Amino acid sequence: MQPLLAIAGLTWKAAFRFRLFLVLAVLLLASVIGLPLLIEDDGTARGFTQILMTYTLSAITGLLGLSTLWLACGTLARDIEECQMQVVLTKPVARWQVWLGKWLGIMSLNTVLLALAGTSVYALLEYRAGRLPPAEQQTLRSEVLVARGSASEASHETEIAEATEKALQERLKSNPVEKVDLAEVRKEILEQVRATFQLVPPGYTRQWQIDLGHPKSYFQDRPLQLRIKFNTAQGGGSATYRGAWQVGDPASTNIWQYETPSLAPDTAYEFAIPANLCDAQGRLTILFLNPNSTSLLFSLDEGMAVLYPDGGFALNFVRGLGIILVWLALLTALGLMAASFLSFPVAAFFSLALLLVGLSSGTLAEAVDSGSVAAGNEETGAAGHSGADVVLIPAFKATLAVLGLAEKFSPIDALSTGRSIPWSELGLAVLQVDLLLGGAVSLAGIFLFSRRELATAQGTQ
Amino acid sequence: MTARAKKILLVILAGLLLLLSGRMQQSLNVERDEFGLTHVAALDNAPPMLAFTTVALGGFRGIISNLLWMRANDLQQDDKFFEAVQLATWITELEPHFTQVWTFLSWNMAYNISVKFKDFPDRWRWVERGITLLRDEGLRYNPDDILIYRELSWFFQHKMGQNLDDANMYYKQQWALLMRPYFGDNGTNFDELIQPSSPASVQLLHDFTNQFKVNPAFAKQVDAKYGPLDWRLPEAQAIYWAALGLDTAARHPEKAKADDLITLKRSIYQSVFQAFHHGRLITNPFEQTYSLGPNLELIPQVNAAYLEMMASDPSMSDHIGNAHRNFLRDAVYFLYENNRVAEAAKWYKLLGDMYPNKTIIDNDTNSFPRNVTMDEFAISSVQTDVNETSQERVTSAVQGMLSRAYYELAIGQEDRYAGFKLLAAKIHEHYTASTSGFNGDKRIPLPKLEVMNNFVLSQLLDPQGNVPYAMRAVVRTRLGMGPETNAPPVPATSQPGASATNTPALKPVE
Repeated sequence: MQPLLAIAGLTWKAAFRFRLFLVLAVLLLASVIGLPLLIEDDGTARGFTQILMTYTLSAITGLLGLSTLWLACGTLARDIEECQMQVVLTKPVARWQVWLGKWLGIMSLNTVLLALAGTSVYALLEYRAGRLPPAEQQTLRSEVLVARGSASEASHETEIAEATEKALQERLKSNPVEKVDLAEVRKEILEQVRATFQLVPPGYTRQWQIDLGHPKSYFQDRPLQLRIKFNTAQGGGSATYRGAWQVGDPASTNIWQYETPSLAPDTAYEFAIPANLCDAQGRLTILFLNPNSTSLLFSLDEGMAVLYPDGGFALNFVRGLGIILVWLALLTALGLMAASFLSFPVAAFFSLALLLVGLSSGTLAEAVDSGSVAAGNEETGAAGHSGADVVLIPAFKATLAVLGLAEKFSPIDALSTGRSIPWSELGLAVLQVDLLLGGAVSLAGIFLFSRRELATAQGTQ
Repeated sequence: MTARAKKILLVILAGLLLLLSGRMQQSLNVERDEFGLTHVAALDNAPPMLAFTTVALGGFRGIISNLLWMRANDLQQDDKFFEAVQLATWITELEPHFTQVWTFLSWNMAYNISVKFKDFPDRWRWVERGITLLRDEGLRYNPDDILIYRELSWFFQHKMGQNLDDANMYYKQQWALLMRPYFGDNGTNFDELIQPSSPASVQLLHDFTNQFKVNPAFAKQVDAKYGPLDWRLPEAQAIYWAALGLDTAARHPEKAKADDLITLKRSIYQSVFQAFHHGRLITNPFEQTYSLGPNLELIPQVNAAYLEMMASDPSMSDHIGNAHRNFLRDAVYFLYENNRVAEAAKWYKLLGDMYPNKTIIDNDTNSFPRNVTMDEFAISSVQTDVNETSQERVTSAVQGMLSRAYYELAIGQEDRYAGFKLLAAKIHEHYTASTSGFNGDKRIPLPKLEVMNNFVLSQLLDPQGNVPYAMRAVVRTRLGMGPETNAPPVPATSQPGASATNTPALKPVE
């Protein structure tokens, strides 16, 4: 352990010697203090807090991410190129210890800088929130500066699959189809069955019973929020729809009713509901009546959710920073891995290129969805075709599968919308991003570094 | 070929290519100017950061602008609007001369984003943002751009003036509150804005022009031509910006396309028509509420606007003619309802003269003007209105019944007075019943009958009005009211909160 810490200490010394720590600390604090003066918000305290959190945390992540890559590439590659590494390795320290020591040094540096910047952001948010009128503070602390868990209806997939199979069998009995068409017929029936769970025709009602995952006492006197989203077959820009809601245990008299006069489709709305409406088992029953002349569709995945208080903002913020640190750990490993076998400029270029590919997952996903890297014909809807598809599409799929391990964690998004980041999510991020992805990258880096012939003339000498 | 000959040939070729590129550059410049892509023109009044950005980034501005645009689109898809203002600012700063950027982003805020909010104050903020972006920033960098004037006019006319958005009454209320300090209790006061007589008035003028970018002198010209308008209502602004667009087009004919001019003119006649339909504020000082009623004084101006439009847009004259015929029907009916029978007869004659072969009663194939008397037409319209759910038409019908009732009272026909009042109450009751539930009463509100009655009575008893003194005195006597004084007749027409009182702000009818 001592050699590890010694190498980490050397990395810290180098960071101070090159004034990197000072420069980064100043840049981070400047972005936290300066951004609120530059950005334009939508005029609400809620909007300002959201944009402040998004922009400051994004700036911090961006600055630390780039400096991490740069430092990771530089600290190892330049040590090798300037022949300092050759001297270090004459000491009783293994190469893997050097590699991990550098990782530890950079990560401890990142932790301190992130803590400094994170504390500044948190203090700024609290300071600004504290100066708002009580009513706005209340809104802010119930919608943004909070950690809200989300509960949805239990999955209907099994019921849908059973109903689809049953309907398919009946259809085959009455009207046999060719074997080649079977998949298409099944898909069609599946959509029809799914629609029965999602559609609310005019004048009809739809009921959701949502298990909040906690006993009733957990929600005692704590107001909840409904998050709804629906679609209609009738598109058309500014059309709005009405709705009548009833929330509470239907078997009791403790029921709350609410009319929403004007809601746009394809939009998520949140509205508060009174406390103490769930039943003894911690379930909440929601009934919706569609008074419009058109059907409304509440999708199964995001049509209806109940948001409930799930801890304080401070701890949620710390968990969010924790996920950012997890990303930085991966970037550190990536930079060190590149520097393990490449010169500094090439390693920096290589790791930045990998980062760029990671950030282009949307483009890769589009190519995979369309089945080709070539552009399709938008007018006819015909898909494009390229000879390179045979190689590139499977490669893109594999890349997306790997990126998927890291991409689904979005702490800035969750923090700015007041959503809870559970410990389990942080744990999963550590497992997937650091242990699995970062671990693989680190093993590759340590292997390459261990196998590298340091005595040969270095490229930049 | 010798080296020398090669060199000469290459020099000639270089010169030729230079000449060709110069010619191509000319046509490119013309196209860039045509499509609004010219950025070489210096930005007037631009802040240093914007001036620097537009010069320093050069051709990369387009790429950055696209990236910002994609982010804005992605965030909107995810219902995250808190960055919309910032992103719009950056995008427009990168493309300050690209008209479509301004019009799209402001339209997106006013139309798409606003309806994504369930609370009306939130919606209003986004509508206001859209207007501000276009008026304060778009016109600042593109003062001669006709499309921006047209779009601005459209926001006031369509988004705020019409009732397609459930929050339209809230928008009108907020706009009326903003305009009231400048245009007074009746929304018609230009004097203090044009010739401020005190330091307070000077400050008022400064605030007004600074905040709303409206030139009071030009506004008065617009009012003289298309009014009298109530400048607390959005239609007045719609007409103002369209008229200013036409004025700009006249000064810069090279920048005005024929289609743009037609849309501006169309915006004016549609807005004047809207102002005729609901261009008068009916206020309830006791409940601090207000609603809208027809502005019958605008009938000649609306008619003139239609005639002008038909003359200037022959390709659409049939379509505009239909709209004009409908307007004349409404004018006759509204005037008749309000006991202005002589004026109604004048417009009825014009209706017959201009459209002798068009029926005037719905579902009656023989109802040509020559076959139907004005009374028959009016009665059939009343029958239609009783079953209507149009707030404007029912308001007009109820006011007309009340007006008729007081006329009957003045001439001693007390039975008929009672009958008309009862009919007004029935129409009001029928409308309220048919629009209640699911807050329909909020979307298309009707003032309480008592408020409408006060309004009609105050109009009737106004010494500055058209009703003779003797008739006013009779009505006062029969209603047990005191003699007429110089004081304002009945408080219903005065805008609350304008005087030095502690009255709370207006709120919409509930």
